[in-house]
Amino acid sequence: MTNIGAPVYLEEKLEEISRSGRLDYRSKSLPTWCPGCGYFSIVESVTAALNRLEIDPCETTVVSGIGCASRFPFFVNTYGVHSLHGRALPVATGIKVAKEDQTVIVVGGDGDAFAIGGAHIPHAARRNIDITYILFDNGIYGLTKGQASPTSVLGFKTGTSPFGNQDRPLNPLMMLLSHGASWVGQAYAGNPGHLSEMICQAIAHRGFSYLHVLSPCVTFDKTTKTYKNLGMMVRGLPDDHDQSDVMAAMHEAQKTEQPALGLFYTENRPTLGDGLNEISRRSQAGS
Amino acid sequence: MKKPLRYAIIGSGAAGTEAACQLRLRDPESEITVITASKLQFISRYDLPRVFEGVDDWRELLVYPPEFYEDNRITVRRNTWVAGVNPRENKLNFRHKEEMSYDKLLVASGGGGYMPEALREFLPYMNPFSTFSNAARLRDSLGKKGKVLMLGSDMVGLDLARYLTSAGHDVTVYANELLFWPHEIKPEDTAPYVKALETMGIKVVFGRKPVAVEPVNSSSKAGKYTRRLVFEKGKAELANVVMPFYGLMPALDFMIGANVDIERGLLVNPELKTTNDRIWAAGDVCQIWSPEENRYSFYYGWNNVKEMGHLAAHNMTGDNREIKTAQTNELKITKKGELHSPYWEHD
Amino acid sequence: MANRPQILTDMQVSFCGSAGDGTIAAGDIFKRAMAEAGYQIIAFDVYPPEIRGFGKCIARTRVTFDQVYSLKPQSDVLLSLDDSHAIPHVGEVRDYGAVIYEDRPMATVEEGEHMSGHLKPAQLPYGVSFRELSERATSGARFRNIVAVGFIAGLYGLPRDLFHRTIGRKFAGKPAEVTESNIAAFDLGYDDGAKTFQVDINGFGPPPKRKKSEKVLMMHGNSAVARGCLSAKIDTFFGYPITPATSIMEILAKEMPKRGGRLLQTEDEISAVAAIVGAGFTGSRSATSTSGPGLALMTEVMGLGSIAEVPCVIFVSQRGGPSTGMPTKTEQSDLNLAVRGVAGDAQRIVLAPTNVEGCFKCAGIAFEIAEKYQTPVIVLLDLYLSNRYEAVALPNKNPFKLDATKWAKKPGKGDAYQRYKLTPDFISPRAIPGQQGMQHTITGLEHNELGRPNDQPAMHEAMSHKRHEKLKTAINYPNLTTSKRFGDKGRVRVGVLSWGSTFGECLEAMITVRKQGITCSAMKVVMISPLPVDEISRFMDDCDVVLVPELNYEGQFASIVMGTLGRPVHRLNRVTGTPMAVNDIIEEIQILAADKPKRRKAAE
Repeated sequence: MTNIGAPVYLEEKLEEISRSGRLDYRSKSLPTWCPGCGYFSIVESVTAALNRLEIDPCETTVVSGIGCASRFPFFVNTYGVHSLHGRALPVATGIKVAKEDQTVIVVGGDGDAFAIGGAHIPHAARRNIDITYILFDNGIYGLTKGQASPTSVLGFKTGTSPFGNQDRPLNPLMMLLSHGASWVGQAYAGNPGHLSEMICQAIAHRGFSYLHVLSPCVTFDKTTKTYKNLGMMVRGLPDDHDQSDVMAAMHEAQKTEQPALGLFYTENRPTLGDGLNEISRRSQAGS
Repeated sequence: MKKPLRYAIIGSGAAGTEAACQLRLRDPESEITVITASKLQFISRYDLPRVFEGVDDWRELLVYPPEFYEDNRITVRRNTWVAGVNPRENKLNFRHKEEMSYDKLLVASGGGGYMPEALREFLPYMNPFSTFSNAARLRDSLGKKGKVLMLGSDMVGLDLARYLTSAGHDVTVYANELLFWPHEIKPEDTAPYVKALETMGIKVVFGRKPVAVEPVNSSSKAGKYTRRLVFEKGKAELANVVMPFYGLMPALDFMIGANVDIERGLLVNPELKTTNDRIWAAGDVCQIWSPEENRYSFYYGWNNVKEMGHLAAHNMTGDNREIKTAQTNELKITKKGELHSPYWEHD
Repeated sequence: MANRPQILTDMQVSFCGSAGDGTIAAGDIFKRAMAEAGYQIIAFDVYPPEIRGFGKCIARTRVTFDQVYSLKPQSDVLLSLDDSHAIPHVGEVRDYGAVIYEDRPMATVEEGEHMSGHLKPAQLPYGVSFRELSERATSGARFRNIVAVGFIAGLYGLPRDLFHRTIGRKFAGKPAEVTESNIAAFDLGYDDGAKTFQVDINGFGPPPKRKKSEKVLMMHGNSAVARGCLSAKIDTFFGYPITPATSIMEILAKEMPKRGGRLLQTEDEISAVAAIVGAGFTGSRSATSTSGPGLALMTEVMGLGSIAEVPCVIFVSQRGGPSTGMPTKTEQSDLNLAVRGVAGDAQRIVLAPTNVEGCFKCAGIAFEIAEKYQTPVIVLLDLYLSNRYEAVALPNKNPFKLDATKWAKKPGKGDAYQRYKLTPDFISPRAIPGQQGMQHTITGLEHNELGRPNDQPAMHEAMSHKRHEKLKTAINYPNLTTSKRFGDKGRVRVGVLSWGSTFGECLEAMITVRKQGITCSAMKVVMISPLPVDEISRFMDDCDVVLVPELNYEGQFASIVMGTLGRPVHRLNRVTGTPMAVNDIIEEIQILAADKPKRRKAAE
């Protein structure tokens, strides 16, 4: 799986994009990420997915925390909350509980999610709140100019780990599977076609969907999670992978040396909104 | 420093309270605890008839204000019943299952109204008269121009009767031979005194033996009356209240097992000490040995009772004085033809 | 007694016992019955931090004819269900008040540990056989507390059926035997009380007559907050349990779903406040409740609420601090945190009700203000106010505005919606998700009118100005009492400036010293931030000296007043974990009044 395909001509592409309606989803602000950042392709994929799913921009809210990835809401023409470091999920929970008909997408980076915001993930997952969490994992703190993150590899030398990162990286897919996320998938910024497809599925899923996107930081990580390295490491899930088998999903998630792309696990179960509606129904019946 | 002595006094009447005051004077460091079943601080029985003169608030009847007890460090455990005395450990046992240690004990629990066996079951329908609440309830039951039937009667009852008649109530005494107890009047000598009572407006009826007291519904043809007194041979009389006055009975049940001698009262020597070295007695509860008369006798009356409390306190704190009666026992008829008893006198 | 003059009821009854004695339940039945009878009620329960066991509980209820503002320093009746706990409190009973206790305990009492040995000479004892009566009524001793309530009701001649109704309601939903046993126990206690001759100098007169246009309910501060939320049609609530705020959430958890509202217990306070910011962003009326430690966690998100201009309401019930401090004790020490606890310059609106009725009003109006000024609003209570019961006359008509938002119009074609538009009233018209063509992103970054990140000097100045100035106008929000003066008008010797639950005690103190001939006014300040400086300033102009009593060590409100107005005040601070003693305030006023008044300069 590589991103090398047929040549693309700019005029044709612009024409195609303009006709597609995808521009309705783009804001007038240009992304502030470094040239070559994996996050560009994620913006593209999200807008493409919303367009494909025919979700009105005003019916969509994108929520983020703090970090490079969290600038995301400014670059799309939906409603957005650029909140606090680590707090995107609870803000999104508030939005979704208050306004069930909004499509709520949370975007964030690995530090935002698994360091400062780590306490919120299990609860969003177990409640099965119907939001989509797109996690941009570059294994580094980029906005603060290069420090170790919870997914940095062992030995990674950064500004705050000059002698090498000594903490074992987390395995986000294992965490999400064990927390009870009802849709867990993985994609790679270097494969925008697959990424777009996965984002589409994640948004379409009814319940808490977690998409882990491997995305290189071209500025502060020249050695570990680079396009070159990741491109060589990623693989597809086995053809016979059973997406309803959480044990199989965990088995695949353990293979961190060769991250698999695709849908690891999915199930259908009542969402937080379903539960709250049921409480409402029962309380009104009882009163 | 020597540990202060603990004095316990059972009874907060004239004797007990006087003893407490004297003990405080004579032993300033001591701990003094008075135990009484009453909820109120000391109110003199002689002041209770003032309820019929319009006194509505018991605080006006207190012999000493609450600050008195505070200032003199006299603890009065009210609403408290002594269930027994343990003479080996020098402890009082209270009904509420608490013990209290003492070094010296004065029993001044007084006397309760005596009630003949046959009438005891009718107690709930009779009005006693020894506390403020008795007096207030009596007043409320009587209303205006109420009717009172007194059974037996004695000088305590007659004292009340004279207040009730002067307050406009109708009092009839169903008398027996102890009408003037504790005066010892021979039956053949009673006529002038009975006449004196009638002069005072108190009706006296002899020879009718009450056998029952019953409640009646005031809304029936009984009119405003709520009690029926039934006599032998079925005759009956209606009234607002029926009151028993059959003399006093020392209140001593709790002293049984206390290793002290008891006859009718608690037996004490002329110094008011019981047969237990740490226990004294004073007031209507004790029977005092009189070497002259070679018998034990009661010393009734306000002055006697107070004197006993006084003396007991002094003897508990080192004196060895003997009691002398402090008043006469002579029943008189005044110039107006009314009865007057030294047992009606008080401070 | 016959022909007693009509009594103007003012009876404070305290039940004291251990947690296992049903002390709080006894107090609850008593106060509910009294409230139903129509009396004014103030009640406050004190209980131990432990859930089970033998910790001391005291349930105090003041029953009055006229409106009063605090508990009295002394009770008229103390009922002991456990002498070991109640004996230390016997001094709280006034002269000629009643002390009621168990006269037939099950087990032997150690010497000196029975109540009968501890009464002051002027107090009146009632030994009652609670245990035996309970056993007779129900073949068990655990209804002693109900026997005790019955005894009090019987002793003072309170209507028996009133209590039957209250007991019936309290145990509604439980098996019928539970109510029956309770009623049987109550009745035996009642009969015993009714036949007991009353010797204490106490009594209940008839209750006041109530207006038909209002319904009188007995509730505590937290339940008044919950009712205020419901009247204001709260949509969403996110919260995390913490003493003493939890009951707000518990009541709403029961009531909101019936009305279509949604409530979620979050994983922590940060999540709770972040969720109300999220919900507030969508136009939902959203709130959370917490105490000091939770508020400390919430401050960062509240800063986001301020800069992103999101309406939301935070109910805070203070307890003893710092840190975990004293969870079951009262204190007013989170004022600094509530007013100033934030990164950067962000003022917020802080309302501090002074009584239970105020809790209702502030709770409801907080949603209006949050919406109108697009900002987080803190409603600051404390344990004393949260847990104290009062009979509250609620208006039958809903007093709250259900939409106070300044809405945006859809921009013309080609124009972008400006979420943070600079306007003359400093309030930018709002749009919410779902509205077409108004998409925008709110942010915790400094931003331009569009909401795009912008840290240019002029922009930060303009936006800071806007955010602060819009709040100042909230002082004039209609139907909101920001401050109020009571007592003497015009020039006074001593002015008492007070906030929060302590105001009741200040009012009682003020009333007392005025009877002693000291000219005195008391002012309550309900809006602590922004501070209604003009009213306070005018009040201070009239006072020779100003006293600020509050339950914190440093005098946090005094510091705010002095810092904002630049005028001196006298502090009176207590940190006992209990409500301030009225007598302490009275003494302080007397001392201040005795000082020679400073000659005021003619120029002033």
